Amino acid sequence: MDAFVNRFKGSSTFLADEISMLDGFGSYDAVKEFSQPVFEIPAVQNANCTDEKSDSECRIKIEHGTTTLAFKFQGGIIVAVDSRASAGNYIASQTVKKVIEINPYLLGTMAGGAADCQFWQRELGRHCRLYELRNKERISVAAASKLLANMVYPYKRMGISMGTMVTGWDKTGPNLFYVDSDGSRYKNDVFSVGSGATFAYGVLDSGLDYELSTNDAIELGRRSIYQATYRDAASGGSVRIYHVEKEGWKFIGLYDVGKLHWEYCGL
Amino acid sequence: MEFLIGITGKDFVLTASDTSAARSITVMKSNEDKSCDLNKHNIMLYAGEAGDTVNFAEYIQRNVRLYGIRNGIELTPKAAATFTRKELATSLRSRHPYQVFLLIAGYDITTSSPHLYWIDYLGSSAEVPFAAHGYGAYYCLSILDRYHHPNLTLDEAKGLIKKCIDELNNRFIVNLSDFKIKVTDQDGIREITI
Amino acid sequence: MSILEYNGAAIVAMMGKNCVAIAADKRLGVQLMTVSTNFQKIFPATEKCYIGLAGLATDVQTLTERFRLKINMYKLREEREIEPRTLSHLVSTTLYEKRFSPYFVEPVIAGLDKNNQPFICGMDLIGCRDVPRDFVVSGTASESLLGMCESLWEPDLEPEDLFETISQTVLNAVDRDCLSGWGAVVHVITPERVITRNLKARMD
Repeated sequence: MDAFVNRFKGSSTFLADEISMLDGFGSYDAVKEFSQPVFEIPAVQNANCTDEKSDSECRIKIEHGTTTLAFKFQGGIIVAVDSRASAGNYIASQTVKKVIEINPYLLGTMAGGAADCQFWQRELGRHCRLYELRNKERISVAAASKLLANMVYPYKRMGISMGTMVTGWDKTGPNLFYVDSDGSRYKNDVFSVGSGATFAYGVLDSGLDYELSTNDAIELGRRSIYQATYRDAASGGSVRIYHVEKEGWKFIGLYDVGKLHWEYCGL
Repeated sequence: MEFLIGITGKDFVLTASDTSAARSITVMKSNEDKSCDLNKHNIMLYAGEAGDTVNFAEYIQRNVRLYGIRNGIELTPKAAATFTRKELATSLRSRHPYQVFLLIAGYDITTSSPHLYWIDYLGSSAEVPFAAHGYGAYYCLSILDRYHHPNLTLDEAKGLIKKCIDELNNRFIVNLSDFKIKVTDQDGIREITI
Repeated sequence: MSILEYNGAAIVAMMGKNCVAIAADKRLGVQLMTVSTNFQKIFPATEKCYIGLAGLATDVQTLTERFRLKINMYKLREEREIEPRTLSHLVSTTLYEKRFSPYFVEPVIAGLDKNNQPFICGMDLIGCRDVPRDFVVSGTASESLLGMCESLWEPDLEPEDLFETISQTVLNAVDRDCLSGWGAVVHVITPERVITRNLKARMD
């Protein structure tokens, strides 16, 4: 196995000198392949085609509307997300998988640019696997989330849009981190991300209790996402729920909001 | 950063508004009442551009009162809302549109039923079981969706408003310290505390 | 973002055999936030003619009031009900009056004339009339509505078949649009009566 590991060992410099801080985490070849814009000031010039924050008339409208949430309770962590992908006002898909299974012990959620989230979390998965091979133990959630934050930070102001939660169970127990493309990284017991996050927070905060039973916690997550899909036009589709336990994450279920509404109405 | 909320119950409407009057980054006053009694059974809550709000509210209030005096019959909540909406819609295409967000809550004594109207500065009006204005709406509407039902008692409604205010204090970046809470029912309008 | 897309709407009208149908969604939103799921966008003009207004909600409500006035004045002056075709010209000129500060609505008119001949008409926001012989669409979901109409509609549908067609059209179209949906209402106008039904829809 060492021969295998050696192939991925050693530092490499890539892109610009500003990214050299990443070398400590090992080689980084997928990213090295990025073609850079030909403009003189990429950070300013490159942003305008996908970044709605700096330019509301941006030409490429990428997936933005989302509601995702995760919270800690006595039985671990509940992760619940919706499944709608919208491009502008158009609903591109109602069956998107916004939870990324990084490995059997780590989950990531997607909000913002779908491609940005998918690429960087897959890249994170690769790093986590390499870490395991090098160190012969699993990476902690704290380290994994920091890895992700450090990976995207050099691309700040270049139009990447990513709001993600990294959750999992490691030596220290259940862990929940929020990482976004601004470079923020926070640890907390409750997070909700996306355009419907405020609506989800409303229901989540009013029903949250650390001593909740697992079934009640799952129901709270499901209800919170459902209420967000009702009020937020950019969220919808189905509610996808995961439960993070000591033995790793477990997929709980996929619930169509179209049916859920009439169930909650008592019909 | 203002906040208005209204909830209809079984035989009343419960309304609340924040009490801070801010200008730029300064709080000028922290006990401002952002509502006015249109007549005995109708109350209007207002928020929006400073100056526009009070001027528009007083204009509406005086006209609704005048109608009552002239005709000897008071406007119902629906009539008051329709009149107010039309004034806002007309103003929208004038040189200086009023930028006012409104909730009109009232008890219709002719049908013995509570009503709540949501009106924005464009003059869009909708009758709703509950409504909120301002960024606070993004947190509170889902709570109201979750816990509201048509036969709400006053105590339940008070609890619901408290849930919403707690959520704002918990999540909202701006500290809205105090709220004026009023009930409108068949006896008229009165202020309460929770 | 276009002001026509501020509140969200989906309206469609279809021609049948001696009948017409008009359908609309029920959402009132402020951009992405849904405020009401019971907002009326179709209004009866006469017993056999309906107007649907998609666009800025304040103008939808203002125009409803103005049209009601004009239609009633017409009835009093002429001592007869207004014909759908005449109504479409009335709506068109009302919109063109505001050529340089328009009402932000795209109306759809559907009705039967005095000989019970079906008539449908669509318009842009300054009153350019479009009188097709199959269907018209309007609102934020217009592209998906058009796609559904093109594939589902066929000539000479009976009232119940027309109802099924327009219902499937509107329900499936709003499922591809963020800003419309949350329930729908359908009116099928036949020489004998108007069938009005509320549709149960996805609430997301």
